[in-house]
Amino acid sequence: MSHRSDTLPVPSGQRRGRVPRDHSIYTQLLEITLHLQQAMTEHFVQLTSRQGRSLEERRHAEAICEHEALLSRLICQTINLLQSGAASGLELQVPLPSEDSRGDVRYGQRAQLSGQPDPVPQLSDPEAAFVSRDLSNRGIDISVFYQSSFQDYNAYQKDKYHKDKNTLGFINLGTSENKLCMDLMTERLQESDMNCIEDTLLQYPDWRGQPFLREEVARFLTYYCRAPTRLDPENVVVLNGCCSVFSALAMVLCDPGEAFLVPAPFYGGFAFSSRLYAKVELIPVHLESEVTVTNTHPFQLTVDKLEEALLEARLEGKKVRGLVLINPQNPLGDIYSPGSLMKYLEFAKRYNLHVIIDEIYMLSVFDESITFHSVLSMKSLPDSNRTHVIWGTSKDFGISGFRFGALYTHNKEVASAVSAFGYLHSISGITQHKLCQLLQNTEWIDKVYLPTNCYRLREAHKYITAELKALEIPFHNRSSGLYVWINLKKYLDPCTFEEERLLYCRFLDNKLLLSRGKTYMCKEPGWFCLIFADELPRLKLAMRRFCDVLQEQKEALIVKQLEDVMRE
Amino acid sequence: MFTLPQKDFRARTTCLGPACMQDLGSSHGEDLEGECSRKLDQKLPELRGVGDPAMISSDTSYLSSRGRMIKWFWDSAEEGYRTYHMDEYDEDKNPSGIINLGTSENKLCFDLLSWRLSQSDMQRVEPSLLQYADWRGHLFLREEVAKFLSFYCKSPVPLRPENVVVLNGGASLFSALATVLCEAGEAFLIPTPYYGAITQHVCLYGNIRLAYVYLDSEGVKVKGLILISPQNPLGDVYSPEELQEYLVFAKRHRLHVIVDEVYMLSVFEKSVGYRSVLSLERLPDPQRTHVMWATSKDFGMSGLRFGTLYTENRDVATAVASLCRYHGLSGLVQYQMAQLLRDRDWINQVYLPENHARLKAAHTYVSEELRALGIPFLSRGAGFFIWVDLRKGCRGSGRCLQANPKWQKTPVPLRARSQVTNAGELVIVSWPEGPAATVDLGHSGAAED
Repeated sequence: MSHRSDTLPVPSGQRRGRVPRDHSIYTQLLEITLHLQQAMTEHFVQLTSRQGRSLEERRHAEAICEHEALLSRLICQTINLLQSGAASGLELQVPLPSEDSRGDVRYGQRAQLSGQPDPVPQLSDPEAAFVSRDLSNRGIDISVFYQSSFQDYNAYQKDKYHKDKNTLGFINLGTSENKLCMDLMTERLQESDMNCIEDTLLQYPDWRGQPFLREEVARFLTYYCRAPTRLDPENVVVLNGCCSVFSALAMVLCDPGEAFLVPAPFYGGFAFSSRLYAKVELIPVHLESEVTVTNTHPFQLTVDKLEEALLEARLEGKKVRGLVLINPQNPLGDIYSPGSLMKYLEFAKRYNLHVIIDEIYMLSVFDESITFHSVLSMKSLPDSNRTHVIWGTSKDFGISGFRFGALYTHNKEVASAVSAFGYLHSISGITQHKLCQLLQNTEWIDKVYLPTNCYRLREAHKYITAELKALEIPFHNRSSGLYVWINLKKYLDPCTFEEERLLYCRFLDNKLLLSRGKTYMCKEPGWFCLIFADELPRLKLAMRRFCDVLQEQKEALIVKQLEDVMRE
Repeated sequence: MFTLPQKDFRARTTCLGPACMQDLGSSHGEDLEGECSRKLDQKLPELRGVGDPAMISSDTSYLSSRGRMIKWFWDSAEEGYRTYHMDEYDEDKNPSGIINLGTSENKLCFDLLSWRLSQSDMQRVEPSLLQYADWRGHLFLREEVAKFLSFYCKSPVPLRPENVVVLNGGASLFSALATVLCEAGEAFLIPTPYYGAITQHVCLYGNIRLAYVYLDSEGVKVKGLILISPQNPLGDVYSPEELQEYLVFAKRHRLHVIVDEVYMLSVFEKSVGYRSVLSLERLPDPQRTHVMWATSKDFGMSGLRFGTLYTENRDVATAVASLCRYHGLSGLVQYQMAQLLRDRDWINQVYLPENHARLKAAHTYVSEELRALGIPFLSRGAGFFIWVDLRKGCRGSGRCLQANPKWQKTPVPLRARSQVTNAGELVIVSWPEGPAATVDLGHSGAAED
């Protein structure tokens, strides 16, 4: 029986303690061994997660796993000793594997790890789960994939900053959430029209979403997206979140192993939503930051790039079924002009691709000089049967905990197929009622909520960008969303994803959670995503931690550069 | 109670992945019903399900092949409900409409529930409830669930919040468990007859089937056993000895056991003596015993979408939690559920006694009607349903039981028809998984007379 505690122990892939700056040799060795362990971990995942192999292949894979496990133990010991040796400055001797008391793990069919909690970095939880005898291979895959990516988020959940009760807690500027209008939303949601208990709300519902809510969503989108004709409630499906909508779309538009194209960098959460249940691959269409003749503004999306990516995918034998666009874009904040949007849709039509457009930030455009154009506002779509729009209240209304997402599509076959997932992604009847009331009150939205929200977003954006300018950090996003895309390349030497990860860890050590570019499938290392939609006091404290970390990083770089010079 | 099925009656499941494709074909319409329907379909071709997959060509469809199967299956499953919703009974507006006694829902205590849910402690709104939280459920809720289950399941030691995962309903739990415990194409064993929707729950995403043939028949790997106690549709309650027997059997074959106790508080006959699996002193295989509970039945809130998993197996809890992002429920609802579960006084002194009294009265009423008509049925003291044997009444042709997910308006010669419904007809739904001609007659619809 596993003795793991509820808090996840420190994963071996990330350092938690202070970097022993005075012991650079140890640091280097530590980094090398951590890197090696990371590589082995990834290989381990690959080996254990592949399904449908022959018995012989499986035995072979297990033998390799066994060897790698022993090697992993050796590496853990090395790390332990390096860290303790670095602190005490003692001469070290790496013990032989046979002396390792934790080397008693047996790997058979899928043996369970004998858990003895260790005070120092050890086999991470994900790795222990690899050898679970209880989960299926795909269960392990899901668990490892998800948990390894959300460990830091989970750590933050257990140790949140609070101005009185927990001043040393994590501040999260890495999750895209709008916390600026909690006062307005709390007040609105407590008004009397919100509290209605009818028997139909407590009984099994229409799984596609209660008709009263779908009618309201159709009306709401007609108005705010400026649709030329009234949208049809029958084309609306509501589920418990936009990620659920995306997962269901991936299920019905693709067969397992097929793919969508997505311009990168893009919101990394899509990778989970397409893979965990649906097993659909996301193929990034890499955009470049550098302005050139063909790239007239940073991270420009062109049809040429889309075609190139599509061709490459086909040459690799991948079946691409659709294109995913986020407009306004996350993390760049770009807003596609109607002309560009049309070009992308025409590209998709040319190749019979579906287009999924996520417009979840459509009401979060705070730059008054820019007008957002929803795809639903276009008079005619190149391929209306293959254009599917996602919207939700999580970002625009800052109620990510409500769990609501909507699909609008002219294609009744797709709407119907997505409805099949309604009971697995259902929304409570009471919640549906509240959402209906919320969306219905256009006057409150237009006169109170939207102006206040946009104003606060603008102010927070101003504050953040002023800080970034003072630090001379280049950034992207001047108009929409809850985040800025910042460039920390000058703090990385060499500029690699490994260095980016280490800098990310340094932020974590200082209880600041950011998102790094790799999780957005960005091709270029050094980019980070910083969410600014938080209350000013917390934001200010976060920026102080941010500056401290960059200062530390700068000093570490200088030390490293001096050492390099001395060595030559 | 654990019925091994006869050889000629095999589970048909609509599995949507390649592993299950061979089950489908011209017999698609029967995938949701039993063997008996094949003959009927031949006689009554107009009753075939909507969207014969053979008729859906890939040229005209925008969906993937997996998508087409999902859509076809959903259309057939929903057909019956659509027919019902288009002609729903209403005392004033549509007295000759269809009354649904085929969905297991408790509509008897809406007055009590609406009172409780309207109290001021239920109206609280706080920023933390509106924001992203721990996907496996707010800690305050998981703590409350652990306490609640410890009390009502009478666990020998207090249950722990770390072993609780919260999702938006029992269906989602089945889906997540099927996905993390099995590979595509594998199976769970389930005693029959059983609540048919579970087939869909484990198939849609999980792509596994339910087997009620013996373990290694047809080369399908069985990974788990599903037990529902109290049982739906029979109303049986397993004794602790029986439970131990099944759990020992499962351990012998290294099966996971998913125990669905969603009706645990709906045992209205005191003499029945219900025992939760969590009340057993020692489980044969605690790492492979997973318990499900939800408010849908016991608290008559099927529309609220709240289900919980209790398991000591951290790997399983973590794997299920990895899917919780897609099965999340509103923070406000989580808060309300915690308030509800916490209110032992109201539950023990108001709700449960009243609920049981009303269930018992409704059960008595329907039982008497059935006896008067000479219709045999199983009399049990739990759940909202009666397992009724209408084979005699159908004069052997089985025609009244159109084994099709469609609702079939059949004039049934019930002497008390006018009393029961004040409407033209009583709808009978064939329950697909049981022997051909038995029918599930729910009795907990609010009796209008």
